Amino acid sequence: MEGTVRELVRRSRADYTEVRWEEVFRSRVVFQRDQLLALEATEERGGIVRALVNGAWGLAVFTHPEELPKKIEEAVQLARTASRHARDRVALAEVAPVEDRYQGRMGRDIRGVPLEEKRKLVEAYNRIILEFHPAIVSSSVRYADSLRRVIYANSEGTYIEQEVPDVTLMLAAVARKNGDVQQGFESLGFAGGFELALGHEEKARAAAQRAVDLLSAKPVKGGRYTVILDQDLAGVFIHEAFGHICEADFLLRNEPMRRVMTLGKRFGVETLNVVDDGFIPGARGNCPYDDEGVPRRRVYLIREGVLTGLLHSRATAKKLGAPPTGNARAVSWEHEPIVRMRNTFIEPGPHTFEEMLEGIEYGIYACGAFGGQTEFEQFTFSAAYGYEIVRGKIGAMVRDVVLTGNVFHTLRNIEMIGKDFQLKGSAGGCGKGGQWPLPITTGAPHVRVRDVIVGGR
Amino acid sequence: MDILELAQTRAEAAELYEAHTEALSVVFHGGEVEKVGSESILGRALRVVAGGRLGFASTAGGAPEALVEAALAAARHGDPAPFRFPPLREGPKVEAFDPAVARVAAEDLLAWGEEAVRAVQREFPEVVVNAYLSRTTTEVVIRNTAGGERREKRTALAFTLGVERVREGDIWLVYESQSVRRLADLRREGLVEKVLQKLRWGAEVVPPPAGKPPVLFLPSAVPVLLLPLTHGFSGLAVFLGTSPLRGRLGEKAFAAAFTLVDDGLIPFGPRARSFDDEGLPVGRLPLVEEGVVRNFFYDLRAAALSGAEPTGNGLRGGPFGEGGFRAPPGPAPRHLVIPPGEGALEELIRDTKEGLIVSEVIGLGQGNIQSGAFSNNVSVGFVVRDGRVVGRVKNTMIFGNAYEVLREGLRAVGGEAEWVGGGLFAPPLLVEGVSVVGR
Repeated sequence: MEGTVRELVRRSRADYTEVRWEEVFRSRVVFQRDQLLALEATEERGGIVRALVNGAWGLAVFTHPEELPKKIEEAVQLARTASRHARDRVALAEVAPVEDRYQGRMGRDIRGVPLEEKRKLVEAYNRIILEFHPAIVSSSVRYADSLRRVIYANSEGTYIEQEVPDVTLMLAAVARKNGDVQQGFESLGFAGGFELALGHEEKARAAAQRAVDLLSAKPVKGGRYTVILDQDLAGVFIHEAFGHICEADFLLRNEPMRRVMTLGKRFGVETLNVVDDGFIPGARGNCPYDDEGVPRRRVYLIREGVLTGLLHSRATAKKLGAPPTGNARAVSWEHEPIVRMRNTFIEPGPHTFEEMLEGIEYGIYACGAFGGQTEFEQFTFSAAYGYEIVRGKIGAMVRDVVLTGNVFHTLRNIEMIGKDFQLKGSAGGCGKGGQWPLPITTGAPHVRVRDVIVGGR
Repeated sequence: MDILELAQTRAEAAELYEAHTEALSVVFHGGEVEKVGSESILGRALRVVAGGRLGFASTAGGAPEALVEAALAAARHGDPAPFRFPPLREGPKVEAFDPAVARVAAEDLLAWGEEAVRAVQREFPEVVVNAYLSRTTTEVVIRNTAGGERREKRTALAFTLGVERVREGDIWLVYESQSVRRLADLRREGLVEKVLQKLRWGAEVVPPPAGKPPVLFLPSAVPVLLLPLTHGFSGLAVFLGTSPLRGRLGEKAFAAAFTLVDDGLIPFGPRARSFDDEGLPVGRLPLVEEGVVRNFFYDLRAAALSGAEPTGNGLRGGPFGEGGFRAPPGPAPRHLVIPPGEGALEELIRDTKEGLIVSEVIGLGQGNIQSGAFSNNVSVGFVVRDGRVVGRVKNTMIFGNAYEVLREGLRAVGGEAEWVGGGLFAPPLLVEGVSVVGR
């Protein structure tokens, strides 16, 4: 494929042409209760051509490699059609051509592990959950891995081959009492080999214990509280609520929003530092080169409470006069690269957990993330579980803890940032523009925020 | 050699699913044309029963031999197949193909997008307008070794219009979308008018009514209440014991005013198809009749495990989404229909002294869906006072339990139903028992 791809992009008549061809190995095992719902190890292949003509994009997605020349022609034609309607034309920031090969490290190559062994692993975790307690009525244990082999070439002379491994594990327990159904889960994700899926028996027990505990937890009472977010939830918060609005494609043709997101503006306390990093060994959001062939750059979104950077593709970088950061990512060969996060986190701060508890008359300690979503400044996310904080002490367990608010207010309301940093990959991924699930990690220490709206009865 | 024949030489039974998709799409970003794209994807999924065990594998672009090997390998380590592939027979034809959609060109999509963008900008010049339009033709072929073949071409036309209104300290997104199978069903002007209506209603930000006021779910927000039910009525969830409706067939679990039908027989419905993804004819299945639980829906597996009849609900992908070739079939509704009651939307609003209209939420599906709990941020919602919309809400959460609300709190079912979310046909629902929290 290499020779053909290089030659064809070079010969393309568009202003700019790129081809991404992917060969993906993937496997998965899914158990629900005693039912094996999925067991599969397979390979798939597909590609996408992007051509830029007079500032408008044409795209063609295909699955037969022999169609590549035809698909390049098709993308160029579609770009030409689009360009007849385009007024504000796309241009790309300069990037030096790169030739490179990258291979993500796997201790034990996922392709060499028999499906039987993967099944046995999942079955063992599943058994731990199902046998944990009589109230456990069901489970959902999911293992998935993939190795995405990507050939990327563009008409500027860049040629990159990357092999990116991904391993995820979801351990979920369902407990039921008198028609009430509660779920406890642990969600894990890594960039590496099969060895990373091993040894999580404690996590399986923790998930089951939580499902059982939630049956007797009381629903949180809705209101406005001082909240301590645990590392998981604080990480999801910074990704969902803040990270997404730092994705510059959203600002590209949005003057008013660009004024809101002006570099140099204060967003939070002096101890607040937020980073998006393209490479941390073993982290699931790793992206040495993005899907436009741009080398990764570590970006400080917030430094000492002040907005200092945004996340870019080549097009947004050009428009906003910034260097490209390597954040143009595609979830698969079916999709074009769009501006996405990688490993996004709040850096550790000065406080201990005990210091954070001090002085809270009544508050909520919110833990784990069921899910989260953001729509510009508005965010909402569900904690997996929580506890009351009563007069500076952790109290009874509560459930149905859903936090919502305005990200700018919430960032300003961050009072304390902990020392106890943790970076975490999960079994899901990030969704945007119909592309899901993109491997990412989120990270944070414990964070204390005042005046948070908590949904409740 | 043919994939199915090849599989049959090595397995007792096999089923091949093929979906060939040809699509064209156009994206407008910030009022500007940004790209035009094409897609041509042949996806395949093979299920085999070998040594009595079930195996599954899927691929795009992979070699037929590799697909057969992968399915056989999965069967070697799989579990005994609880069901047999049935002979595939012709059933009632549900219209799902419109040649006029297949003929839609990039220039058409561009012209429709430009027209909509300009119509919004004429009235609200300060807003950012995004649009996504696509047309898709998919040919699905299902064959199995029990005999027979089902083959069908389906078309889809999708149009999403989104508007961002940004003011200092206030960012607001409003959107509407339509997904149809027939060109004549696309209501371009109606789509624009709905977006404009919301922008007009939302000129002012007002505080939400506190506590548990009457809440009017517009059709676009009805998925908040129905998403938990797509889990609850799934034959697999009932079998696994994660559905709160398990063991409650014939019981009055909902308000008498609530009826819910899974109707696969609606010609040109957004998810219309003559057969499900296992090749079984679709049908019409009442789930709730006047509050009484009547049926659960089943694919082949869930039916066999439960000793029930399959209902033609074996679909790939989630409850409201079109599935892909990668997902094995599972029980999912075809079209969820809430038959309309009485009263135009204006009347429902006029009869409300103080209440909240919910049009769009964020966080759909997050939280403990299985128990029926919902908790969402209202991204597009309006306050009604003395029968009049007085403005929109901001930083407002709704919180409740879908089963409880539909049992205890259903006050009125509106008279005008609409298609939303790709496969739900619902009127506005006026309910009580939803907590509203705002600042």
